[in-house]
Amino acid sequence: MRRVIDAIVDFIVGDDVWVAVGVASAIGLTAALDRLGADPWWLLPAAVPAIVVVSLLRATRR
Amino acid sequence: MTHDLVLVLGALAASAVETVEAVTIVLALGVTRGWRSPLLGAGAAVATLAAIVAALGPALALIPIDTLRLVVGSLLLVFGLQWLRKAILRASGFKAVHDEDKIYAEEVAQAREAGRSAGRVDGYAFAISFKSVLLEGLEIAFIVLTLGASQGSTLLAAVGALIGVVGVVAVAVVVRRPLSRVPENQLAFAVGVMLTAFGIFWAGEGAGADWPGGDSALLGLIAVTAAWALAFVVVLRQRRAPAPESAT
Repeated sequence: MRRVIDAIVDFIVGDDVWVAVGVASAIGLTAALDRLGADPWWLLPAAVPAIVVVSLLRATRR
Repeated sequence: MTHDLVLVLGALAASAVETVEAVTIVLALGVTRGWRSPLLGAGAAVATLAAIVAALGPALALIPIDTLRLVVGSLLLVFGLQWLRKAILRASGFKAVHDEDKIYAEEVAQAREAGRSAGRVDGYAFAISFKSVLLEGLEIAFIVLTLGASQGSTLLAAVGALIGVVGVVAVAVVVRRPLSRVPENQLAFAVGVMLTAFGIFWAGEGAGADWPGGDSALLGLIAVTAAWALAFVVVLRQRRAPAPESAT
């Protein structure tokens, strides 16, 4: 069972688990800001390239 | 209408990329070990994929649309970023580009070295073909189900994917060589951009964001995503390029 879960996570998440963590955080923050009455449409388009930059820097420094 | 076209093109390009990869391995096995077992393996994988899609497709329809868009959009975004990140690293020279000729040559060499089991079915050729088609096919199925479910048109996504699969297989049957002329790396880049843009759109919508311009915001997201992804490629290429020697 553990191997199946690992395979599914690897299939969707791939090499950098921090990308998934960053995306989940950005989506969570979007939902939280929406609950507070803000219109956070801009958050994901701004957060996603930032997440990719960090991931690319990590990948190219190895 | 534009959304539908983008959906079909995204599914078509993704399935073409994945099918090229699967076809290379089936071709290598067929040429070196005979066609029967690789084709049986590929057929078994397609049947397994059909069963998975038949089970998951209707199940997705039972989930409330807002929850579905949040969950599916999030998955699509993480999955799309995996494609896009790899495509940026390949385009900037930090990761080896997908070379079908090289993969084909390696598969042929391995297939020649592998032992042959007794019996009518060549176990090695069947297993490798099954695994390759299943793994590449799972990516196609994932993209079709997530793109289709979030847009409410799984059929359109499936049609796009089917056109990609049939087109690539038809060309492979005719040329019987690895399809190295298919611009696979560029297609993967475009698919990464589209999946990421769709993921941002649907995950944002699911999380409560109201997009300026409504549905047309998706086209803007595709353009913006392509722009920053290309900019990252340029910056990484400059970082990778050796500094010019000073003329002293």
